[in-house]
Amino acid sequence: MNDDPKTKHFLNRAAFGRAPGLKTPVNTPTWIKSASHNRPIDVIPAVGGPIPMPGQRTPRDAKARRGKFLDELTQLNTTWVSQMILPDTLWREKMTLFWHDHFACRVRSAFLSQQLNNTVRREALGSFGSLLTAVSKDPAMLQFLNNQQNKKNSPNENFAREVLELFTLGRGHYTEADIRNGARAFTGWAFNPTSGTFVFRPRVHDEGPKTFMGKTGHFSGDDILHLILEDRQTAQFITEKIWRYFVHEGPPDPDIAASLAKDFFRSGYDLHKLMTTVFSSSWFYEPRFVGNRIKSPVELLAGMLTQTGGRFEDPRAALFIQRALSQVLFQPPNVGGWPTGTAWIDSSSLTFRMTVPALIFKDLATEYVAKDDGDANNATNKAATRNLNCAVDWASLAQQFTKASTAETLAALEDHLLATPTTAANRKLVATQASRSTRDDEWMKQAFTAFMSLPEYQLN
Amino acid sequence: MTSRRNFLKQSLLGATGSLLVPTFLKAFENPNAFAETTDKILVVVQLSGGNDGLNTIVPYRNDLYYQHRPSLAIAADQVLKVSDELGFHPALAPLQGLFDQGYLGVFNNVGYPNPDRSHFRSMDIWQTASPENYLQTGWIGRYLDANCPGCSVADRAIELDDTLSLALKGDHIKGLAMKDPRRLHKAVHNSFFHDVAQHNTADEVNDPSLHYLYKTIAETVSSADFLYRKAGTPAAGADYPQSDFSKKLKTVAQLIHARVPTRVYYVSMAGFDTHVNQRAQHERLLQLYSEGITAFVDDLDKHDRMQDVLIMTFSEFGRRVAQNASGGTDHGTANNLFVVTKPLKQKGFLNNTPDLLKLDNGDLIHQLDFRSVYATILDRWLEVSPKKILPDAYPALDFI
Repeated sequence: MNDDPKTKHFLNRAAFGRAPGLKTPVNTPTWIKSASHNRPIDVIPAVGGPIPMPGQRTPRDAKARRGKFLDELTQLNTTWVSQMILPDTLWREKMTLFWHDHFACRVRSAFLSQQLNNTVRREALGSFGSLLTAVSKDPAMLQFLNNQQNKKNSPNENFAREVLELFTLGRGHYTEADIRNGARAFTGWAFNPTSGTFVFRPRVHDEGPKTFMGKTGHFSGDDILHLILEDRQTAQFITEKIWRYFVHEGPPDPDIAASLAKDFFRSGYDLHKLMTTVFSSSWFYEPRFVGNRIKSPVELLAGMLTQTGGRFEDPRAALFIQRALSQVLFQPPNVGGWPTGTAWIDSSSLTFRMTVPALIFKDLATEYVAKDDGDANNATNKAATRNLNCAVDWASLAQQFTKASTAETLAALEDHLLATPTTAANRKLVATQASRSTRDDEWMKQAFTAFMSLPEYQLN
Repeated sequence: MTSRRNFLKQSLLGATGSLLVPTFLKAFENPNAFAETTDKILVVVQLSGGNDGLNTIVPYRNDLYYQHRPSLAIAADQVLKVSDELGFHPALAPLQGLFDQGYLGVFNNVGYPNPDRSHFRSMDIWQTASPENYLQTGWIGRYLDANCPGCSVADRAIELDDTLSLALKGDHIKGLAMKDPRRLHKAVHNSFFHDVAQHNTADEVNDPSLHYLYKTIAETVSSADFLYRKAGTPAAGADYPQSDFSKKLKTVAQLIHARVPTRVYYVSMAGFDTHVNQRAQHERLLQLYSEGITAFVDDLDKHDRMQDVLIMTFSEFGRRVAQNASGGTDHGTANNLFVVTKPLKQKGFLNNTPDLLKLDNGDLIHQLDFRSVYATILDRWLEVSPKKILPDAYPALDFI
């Protein structure tokens, strides 16, 4: 793949790196089409009993409930990780992961979490307007942002505030009055706690006139979303977020961003068109944007699985690693989502990240204990597994990557695994590490693990 | 692909095992980096989960307290009465001496406007000192950013845990998370990691992200070796209770005795989210807390350092005034906050008792913004300007 840096960069950003055996070069639109299948997650059966409200516990069977939630969340989380890397859904999953952070949500019902996840997955590649509407009416989001408590005569502004601040326009592009009036329009948006489906409650809906973003009318919640989408700033805001995630974690080139935003707006917020444009633009492949983005913990983990073809013997291992690296799917720290870039990296997190490959491929022991976040209801504080082993067909990788000389083989591995070249010193270290083995598959395991333990592996 | 970097000419550890400053740090070298210090030290103790303040500092004369908590209130004859209106939960008995002597002060009703009852959000608010915004940096991290531009790694704030809290994350400088110097040293001397550290140098890495990674690696090794050298094989030391919390405090004491230049330590204790069957669990936790703190204070006192150390204990929120239907309490708002040093400038209860009559939907209303406490500590204890660390100016308090 030495002669195909564009495909490598594309797969690093649109997916989690190149899977072994994937034929390159890759035609971008063809790949996108082949990796956009929608596979909903279906491991949590229907809502079981009333949804626990934040800060409270149902008095009966509290312990049984907690155990059930622990099991369900573990299942949901580990199922998504396993599914995230399958070739036919890969592109849709990457975008779902992006939206999972953008529309950050955290509720104590695995069923509702699954439902929101599937809603996002379904709408991830279509129109942002449809995605926004679907998420805004999603029971998990309504609960998380307290819209159940938003009623005529006793409004709760949380939902309206976060929709404007975090999901669409961004700070500074609306007023407090807009939040108040937006909240009034969203009154009545609720859900049935038994079935977990959206319900409009007309009796608590404030039908009065509202002034929102300079327009006045008897606006409904749908009208508010419509007005938000009519504002070009929404297109600008989303475009910039896409830039920061897929292109470069820094302020976007103003001309490029403006042009993308304009087209995005004009196309009716067509996400497929936007992303195809991004990936087929020459600026996407400029060296200043390549190989210097710090992976989030989930991306790091998904990359290890993708680039080796490996699978955990105990899927809960994926949860342990997420906890250790402070990013647990379905448990964002707050509605603002997860940190980015260097915020992921400190002395202890970097040391751990560079040890994960040895933990999962070479059975290295760890004394690591994940931090208890204080929440008695947080299932993952207790989720534990001892078995972190990730099974990989090293013999097959040996067949695929072995070249005429050791030097060439190492170069091929470096190209496969690292988004940016490493140092001569590190290459020597990897070579030394691998040379201790005589068997091909063992050699490959040592070499792969060593490369993935380098600082360069933290980047994509 | 050309190599842009050279081998590091000297390894991080000289032949005798003494620490050599890595080349890239020379540009910023602080000659006092590894000097001993008698500067003041802050120890932050975080009670995670929302400690029930009303059963910790009990308003034993207030009928409303007993009305709201018919089975959960601490009986008046059990309370350790330390003032006309307030007393300690009996499990805090070890701290009563400290209180009577003026070394333990209590602020009541500490919180912030528009309180958030979500663990994650409220803890973030306390750690970032920002109820209004979602910041990615914490107040202690920003303290490091503003006051430690060329500081050596050992000047960092240290958290006694495997993972670093947001409180200690700055934009440029972050604190160090470790269980103890031995464990950190062992983790870092995992041979491959150490080899990478030894054979590379950050100063020739151009890309900012990659540079940051190599810099962090070098600093980690440097910290680990320094701290292990100073405090990796401590003397037997004082007797501490057998608990995770006490173990952390013991490690802090050992670092302080070793005179490492660290100014801030961060220690957490979990388990306070007592929604169900609170009585026994809360009692146990308060006991672990008070025994640990007492042992820590005694230890520091024996080494004549307690006057240089300020311990601040907080929780992300208190709990609701009324008990719930499960023998526990649910998330609340304002809470008490403890400060300990020898001596405090002001003694005892440093502000008003909680008002149980005027509640906000069943919750206490805060009277003191926690950022005033932070601002006072920054200004008067750590002796730095709170500007750039806290978003606004807050009235200084007079306890130190």
